[in-house]
Amino acid sequence: MMAASLAVMSEDATDRRPQRDWVLVGLWIALVVVAIVWIAPFVFIVFTSFKSTAQVMSTSAFAPPLSPRFANFSDAWARGRFGTTVFNSAIITLIKVPLGLFISSMAAYALARISFPGAKLLLLAILFGTMIPFQVMLAPLFTLVNSFGLIDTYPGVILPYLAFGVPYQVFILHGFFRGIPVELSEAARIDGASHFVIFTRIFLPLSLPVLAALLIIDFVATWNEFAMALVLLQDRNMWTLPLGLSAFQGQFSRDYGQLNAAIVMTVLPATIVYLIFQRYFVSGLTSGAVKG
Amino acid sequence: MTPRKVLSDARSQAVLLLAPALVIYLVFAIYPMIDVVILSFQKWNGLDPHRQFVGTVNYSDIFTKDPVFWGAFRNTVIWTILSVIFPPIIGLALALGLNQPIFGRNTLRAVYYLPVIIAPIAVATMWRWMYDPFFGLFGEVLGMLGLQSWNQDWLGNRNIALYSAFVAHLWQSVGFSMVLFLAGLQGVNKTLIEAARIDGAGRWNVFRHVTMPALKTTITIVLVLSIISSLKAFDIVYGLTGGGPAQSTQMLALWAFTQSMQIFDFGRGSAISVVLLLITLAVVVPYLRWSQKREEFQ
Repeated sequence: MMAASLAVMSEDATDRRPQRDWVLVGLWIALVVVAIVWIAPFVFIVFTSFKSTAQVMSTSAFAPPLSPRFANFSDAWARGRFGTTVFNSAIITLIKVPLGLFISSMAAYALARISFPGAKLLLLAILFGTMIPFQVMLAPLFTLVNSFGLIDTYPGVILPYLAFGVPYQVFILHGFFRGIPVELSEAARIDGASHFVIFTRIFLPLSLPVLAALLIIDFVATWNEFAMALVLLQDRNMWTLPLGLSAFQGQFSRDYGQLNAAIVMTVLPATIVYLIFQRYFVSGLTSGAVKG
Repeated sequence: MTPRKVLSDARSQAVLLLAPALVIYLVFAIYPMIDVVILSFQKWNGLDPHRQFVGTVNYSDIFTKDPVFWGAFRNTVIWTILSVIFPPIIGLALALGLNQPIFGRNTLRAVYYLPVIIAPIAVATMWRWMYDPFFGLFGEVLGMLGLQSWNQDWLGNRNIALYSAFVAHLWQSVGFSMVLFLAGLQGVNKTLIEAARIDGAGRWNVFRHVTMPALKTTITIVLVLSIISSLKAFDIVYGLTGGGPAQSTQMLALWAFTQSMQIFDFGRGSAISVVLLLITLAVVVPYLRWSQKREEFQ
């Protein structure tokens, strides 16, 4: 399953034809035009982020900032309290992502390798969970977290994040674990190893590529999450990066240069992670949704 | 029973391995879903220790008295229809293009997919600025094309704001459909395509009679995921318009949030949520049955 989706990444030139294929040339031009349209917003945002308000008003949107104003970034950083929001986002992401993957993979192992009554039903419930929109439950989530006294705390937002991350991860890992030869775990069982040992010593090392894919996808999803944070983190000292950006736009939407600098700073971490780990994104996403 | 014995018992081990994920999932995902149904039959402001049972009043209120509900309903339907048409078609077209042996495929794919990984709230902020009628990107581009008169307040005009918002969403979501189609295209039998070509089938006929039928499963998945993601549209609308102007871009998910968390009418907000939840289930349940069948079939 992973192999099939990873194959998306490899170049395969199935029909190499000696003569120039004009249909392909036309197609290539069309694809490049779309790519230019797709990339244009980023160029516009980055250019604007280096301009003063006066420059924004007087120069063309696509004019490169010839005298770049780096102060936009430091000003936006201070006014948007990026120090606080980046710190909160980092803490929440660094705890949530590994912890979520760990509990999800334990559960996926149990569902894939230990037979117990109700396993099938449980799997169905988990599959169901991948589809339910948490956006529908913001009010009861607030009520629940509030009843634990966890509004404006890290656990108060990490626990719901975990809950809504578990189904997708369990589903994908379960599919992967089931593909691992039974003989492998059976041999270890006969030697007296407990399931926990088999899980940590055999299954986790074998599934590193899937775990990496899930880790990166979950990093971006957690880093970008907005709706739940909006409800569960009301104190501005607890805000995450997306909340900070939203508030920044509300307050300083006329400071074009700084607003765009704030956008660039918000978007940059996920973009870098994406550019470095590109292939994992595609494999992780497609292995879940499209099988074989 | 000693601890060692508990560990050696397979079932207890299963319970121990499952417990952390399961408990968190039940408490923080399943319980709120049940609670939203309970809340929809109650009157509550979010603070009062007592939640008063009021029967179906909240439902009759949103259906008959709420001036925004049906508008939000209509917008959600429009958004969903647009989402099952445009991102999948453009995504499929791009995937088919990238499936050919062309120069720079990996770079092109990376470019189309890039918006997918950006926070929707950041996309909203970006596009709000691009839609700025005075200094934004669209005014500029129209000016370059000599079409200044077409420029307008994209997000301030209630007749087009919803579609302006959707274009931002389109830019963000096309890459996702594309990647799913690319994966689906890997499953298309290459020998079958070759055979069709040898038999003299042109590009269109190969696509129509070989590729499309092989993509049936992928198409279903893409459509279902598009429907579900458009039903929960929240961040992008919140960031772009906040539901305005004059509620012309209001969505069910956002309106449910507004009722509960800003107007503090948890009953009504939850009733709206339940309506949305039921619509989602109407899509999800048949889909799950279909995918279960497919699983067993394999």
